[in-house]
This record gives sequence, C-alpha cells and structure tokens, in this order.
Amino acid sequence: MTKSRLIAGIATALVVASSAAACSSGGSGSDTDTLTFMFRGGDDEKKAYQEAIDRLTEDTGVEVKMIVTSADQYAQKLQAAVAGNKVPDVFYIEQASLQSYVSSGVLMDITDQVAEQGVDLDNIWPYGVDSYRFDGTVQGTSEGRLYGLPKDIGPFAFGYNADMLEKAGIDRPDPDQPLTWDEWLTICQKLTQDTDGDGETDQWGTGLNVQWNSQAFVWSNGGDWTNEDHTQVTVDTPEFAEAIQYIADLTNEYGVTPNPEQAQTLDTYQRFMAGEIGFFPVGPWDMSVYNDLDFEYDLMPWPVGKTGEPATWVGSLGIGVSNTSSQPEDAVKLATYLSTDETAQQTLIDANVQIPNRIDTAQEWAAEVEEDDTLKPTNRQEFLDIAEDYGREMPASFTYGAEWYDELWVGIQPVLDGKQTAAEYLAEVQPRMQELLDQSNAQAEQAAAAGSAP
Amino acid sequence: MTSTATPAATGARTPAPPAPAPPRRGGTSRLHRIEKRWALLFVAAPVIGYLLFIAYPTGFALYASLTRWNGLGPMQFIGLDNYVALAGDERFHQTLFNTFFYMIGIPVGLAISLALAVMMNRKLFGRAAFRAIYYVPVISSIAAIAILWQWAYNGDFGLVNQFLAIFGIEGPNWLADPAWAKPAIIMMAIWKGLGYSMLLYLAAIQSVPRSLYEAAELDGANGWKKFRSITLPMVQPVTFFLVVTQVIGGAMIFIEIQIMTPTGGPEYSTASVVYHIWLQAFRYQQMGYATAMSVVLGLLILVITLVQFRLNRRNAGFVID
Repeated sequence: MTKSRLIAGIATALVVASSAAACSSGGSGSDTDTLTFMFRGGDDEKKAYQEAIDRLTEDTGVEVKMIVTSADQYAQKLQAAVAGNKVPDVFYIEQASLQSYVSSGVLMDITDQVAEQGVDLDNIWPYGVDSYRFDGTVQGTSEGRLYGLPKDIGPFAFGYNADMLEKAGIDRPDPDQPLTWDEWLTICQKLTQDTDGDGETDQWGTGLNVQWNSQAFVWSNGGDWTNEDHTQVTVDTPEFAEAIQYIADLTNEYGVTPNPEQAQTLDTYQRFMAGEIGFFPVGPWDMSVYNDLDFEYDLMPWPVGKTGEPATWVGSLGIGVSNTSSQPEDAVKLATYLSTDETAQQTLIDANVQIPNRIDTAQEWAAEVEEDDTLKPTNRQEFLDIAEDYGREMPASFTYGAEWYDELWVGIQPVLDGKQTAAEYLAEVQPRMQELLDQSNAQAEQAAAAGSAP
Repeated sequence: MTSTATPAATGARTPAPPAPAPPRRGGTSRLHRIEKRWALLFVAAPVIGYLLFIAYPTGFALYASLTRWNGLGPMQFIGLDNYVALAGDERFHQTLFNTFFYMIGIPVGLAISLALAVMMNRKLFGRAAFRAIYYVPVISSIAAIAILWQWAYNGDFGLVNQFLAIFGIEGPNWLADPAWAKPAIIMMAIWKGLGYSMLLYLAAIQSVPRSLYEAAELDGANGWKKFRSITLPMVQPVTFFLVVTQVIGGAMIFIEIQIMTPTGGPEYSTASVVYHIWLQAFRYQQMGYATAMSVVLGLLILVITLVQFRLNRRNAGFVID
C-alpha cells in the first residue's frame, strides 16, 4: 500500500514537472541578439531571405530566426502570437490588416528610423511604400507615417497563349494599343473551337474568375466599388453592371469560356497551363511556372471599356516591425534588408517570383529583353506600366476590414449562370454592402479614437 | 410513538449501543489526515484543470462578448450591442438554419447504424472484417475524408454521379448547387459516423438478455416483432446517448464545411454557425461579435440538451430484472 502510493506520488510529480517545463519552454522570449522574422512562402522566398539575413548578420552581427507558416494559416498564427504577447520582431503584414494593427499598437512607426538609416524610399515603388502609410484616418497616401516596407508589389497583368494565336492566324496584341471589348471578344470567338473534331469544344478564348478579374473590366468601364473616400458603395451604377454582365455573357451568350461545370472539373488556371485557353491573367508570381510551359506566352494590356484606358489591380504584401520589439533599430534594419537588399532581390528575380522592389533594378530587368530575346515574358514592361500607370489597389485594401467587399461575391453565382441580370443583383446587394461598409468605417473611427495611434 | 413500557422492562431490555463509530469529523487520526491530504491533492489536479481551461475561458468569453475587440488591441465595453446586432444579422440566421438542417442526418444515421448492428450480430462469414471496415471512417482524419468526398462529389466525373448514372440518374453539381450542397454534406457526415454508432448499438444488442427473446418466441413473435418490442426499447439508452452527443457535435460542425466549401458554399448555403464565427473572428477581426455568437450557440446547445434529458426522464430508472 505504501509502495503504490509512492509510485503514484512520483508519477504525479513527473507529470506536473513535465507540464510545467513544457509551459515554460514554449514561451521562449526574444533572446538578446536574435530577432524573429515570421512569414509565409515557398522555397524561393526562404532562400532569398536567408541571403538577406546573412548579409545583415555580416554587417551588424545580429542573428535572425525565420518562422515560416503555410499561406492559409499565417493570419491566424500572427493573431495568436499577438494575443500571446509573443509578437515576432519582423513579420509580413497585409494592406487590409494595416489599420487594425496600427490602431492596436502592434506595428511600430518606422518613419524616422528608415530615414535615419538612409533608405532611398524614392527608389521603391510609390504604391508599395504608400500602401503602408497611415495617418490615423486614411491609408495609402503619401502623407501618412510609415508602418512597413513593401515585400513586393504584384501588378496583375493580362497574358495570352502566343502559339494558339499564331495557329489561328491572329496577330499578337499590340503592347501599346489595348483592344476594345468588342475586338477582344471577336478574337475569343475565333479561338473557341473544337480542335480535334470530336464534337466537343476543347479550346476557348478565355476563362475568367469574377472575383479576381472583374476589377479590370469594371474600372476600365468607368465604374468602381466605392467613392474616393470609401463612404459610399457605388456598385449599382450602369457602368459597373455593364462590366459584370459582359463577363457573365462571355460564358452564357457567347460561349467563349468553359462553362461552370467544366471549370469545376478542371479550373481555368489549369486549362490555361494545358494550352486550352487563349487569354488569361498573369501575375509576377506566375512567371516561374509559366516560363516552363510548352507554349510561348506574353503580356498585353487589359481590354478597355468605355474609358478607353486599361486598368487592373496591384497587390502588395508588407514587412512590418513589432512595436514591442526589444531591438527596434536592428529590427528595422532587418526589414530594410528584406525589402531592398540587392542580392536578395536578385535571387527573387532570378526565381521569377516577383518584380524587383527597387525601381532602378526593375527598369534594368525590363530592358534586359532587348539584349536577350530568350527571356520570358518578352513584354515585361507591361508589369512596370501597371505599377507606374494604370494599376490601382484592390477596393478593400485600404478600408477597415473587407466584409463589405466579400458580400458582393456571396450571391453572384446566379448572375454568372445567367439566371439573373447583373443590374438586378447589384441593386439588391448594394444596400447590404453599404451597411457593412458603414459598420467598417464606424469601427475604423472607434479604433482610431480608442487606440494608441499617433 | 409514546412509549408506555414499564420502567423496569425498559431499563433491562435497552440493547447496548453499538461500538462507537470512528469519529467522522475533523479526522483526528493521523491516518485520516494523511489520506485526506492525498485525496485533496489528487482531486486538485482535475479541479484546477477545470478552473483554468473551462471556467476561466468561459468567464472571459462572457466578458468578451460584451465588448468590441479585434483580437489584437484593447477590449472596449459596449454592453449588449453585439447581441442586438446578432438578432438582426441575416447571415447568422442563415447559418443557424443550415446547422439545424444538418441535424436531419442524425435520425437517418441512427436508423442505418442500428440496422447494420443487427446485421453484424448474426453469424456471418467475415463478420470481423465487416465490422472493421465500417469502423475505419471513424478513425480516419476528417480532413482527408472531406477532401476525398469533395472529389467524389465532382459534377462531371465524381464517383457519386457515376454511381447515379448506373441508374440513369443525372446527378447535380453537388457542392456548387445551393439546393444540393447541404444534403451532400449530410451524406458524408452520416457515412463517417456510421461505424461509431454501429459499434455502440452492437454492444447494446449483445447485452440484451437472451431470455427475453426466448420468451417472445414462445409467445409466437416473429423477427420484426422481436426487434420492435425487445431490441428497440432495450437499446434506448444508447439511442439517447447518441442523439444527445450527436446533436451537440452537429451544432459545432465546421471542418467538413471549411474543406468542402471553403467560402461557405454557393450563396452561403452550407455555412454553419461555427464557420460564421470563425470567419468573423479571424477574417474580419470581430472577436467580440464572434464571442457573442459562441455564447448564443452554447446556450442553445445547453437548452436543447436539457430538454432532451427532461423528455428522457421517464426512461431513466428503467431496470429490467
């Protein structure tokens, strides 16, 4: 009886001790001299960042520990880290989350330190830098304080299967002269055919995704999601409806895209890569994959609507510094290196995963194709044109939360299936979106008032 | 009862009181004190666990539901505003409807698993193999199963539609059709839970005393009568247990939806309450609002469970000799 009690006592002590040890070992605070950098990405990014970090360690002796997560878990893990007071010193920050992180005092204002360290902000894409500026009320203008440096900007361009066009006897689109919607539709109709004679269409002009591609059509037609100061939802304008209806008609009226069932079987992205689709969007992150396809592809300006000007969105991801970092200067330096270090940028460019952050490097990169015409895509300049001229931020990038924006997509399928007209649906959904946008703005105000924003 | 016994008789006949029982209170004996200390120590572990991991978070959640909080910064007390917003949130009502719709699968699943259990109870060739096969989905990863079923439900070449095509039925594009997405998920959930319910039913059926069946046979009962009048009532405790736990589990359904219909389904037709809570908490950073929804869900589950227990009261003290 005494023996079993002894054993029980020892077992309990062991359990308690191990759980206590587990608790404390889980909480490794930031040791002096080791910064933590949390991000999500593939092997290319890891390699490039390792190089930037190595240079940083060489130059300053500061060590850095990288924490990589998968893309869909990043937001949750970051939030958990913030809630648990274990914020990494440097981490990825999305445009859409900037305001709430700043108002909650998580992100550090790095304006002064970046200036002190002599970073040439003029040589970084203005859109990239301004996306992480916030003056307490408005984000994205050049007047706000800086809360992050861009990891990259992603101009979302339009591309085409050059081999397919050649086979159909169609000229390559002019990089300086965009096609109108009607011209483009005619080409798509020519491309949509049954190439192997089995009675079923197996080649289509295009295959669009309304959530990511409608922006180019809406904006080029003169419509927009909100007014300039993001207080009024303007999706129920005729221009907006025309654009959405045009996209839906591509499938239902003109049949130049795979139908929804075919798209579910094999989505249009895969079909483009298999050579079944003529025109498809191309982001910088696609280059590494597309360069290896067995057909030639190239970039072109998006087809234009009423305004006659192309338009598309530019994505971005930022690198922010924690307000509670124990080594703020070194952390800012790390962010700078990750964003602008030349070797790291070169590695990323060579891996074809993004366009260069520095404007001078980007211009060189685009000009390279004049010397070496095996480099793909030939019309790299298109990415730069978007970054400089006709690219804009996504409608919900600079609002406080994206719920109002997501609401549009929830019920849009009937429009795409041809069961409801775009105009009807937009009239229905506008009040709901407006309510959510109002809520979003109210929260932004309260956060600004209650938070520790400068 | 007033005693009128004669004094003489009382005095002599009073039985001696039993030997004094060991003193109960205070534990004066050393053994008692040692025992008590150890007892408290052992009990302390789960009690502390309960306080730390259940009581404290619940209290915190109740407070958080009365605040505006984005999960990162300070919490701002706003009273019952979140609950008022809930009452008007159409999407929340839609998800409540969806969640309760999913519970249609519970009686169907129980009926099927009971039938399976009855079948597995006979002497079949390969019975052990069948039992194992039916139980495999229970121990499989829910994420893997969801991905598998997502492919099976594909409109063009999925297994489900191929199977239906044998009978000449053209299956819908299950997960993309607002009318068929929920039934699709119900079928998958039933399939997954069959093995577990079947196992419990099997154990219950096997513990029914043979004598009852024999007595019934003597009275001339056929198979169906035996099932209805003996087996069914005798497994009622298991049925009750399964209904209660599956209602609670069903109210919290989330992973299947997040994997098979990541955006909440066509026109938000598959989103469950927990999905909506997750979306609000982590995508839209409305932690306070999401917590209010969780509180409402928790209360709902509590009420339903209490109602079930109440309805079952007449069965509770049910013994068979």
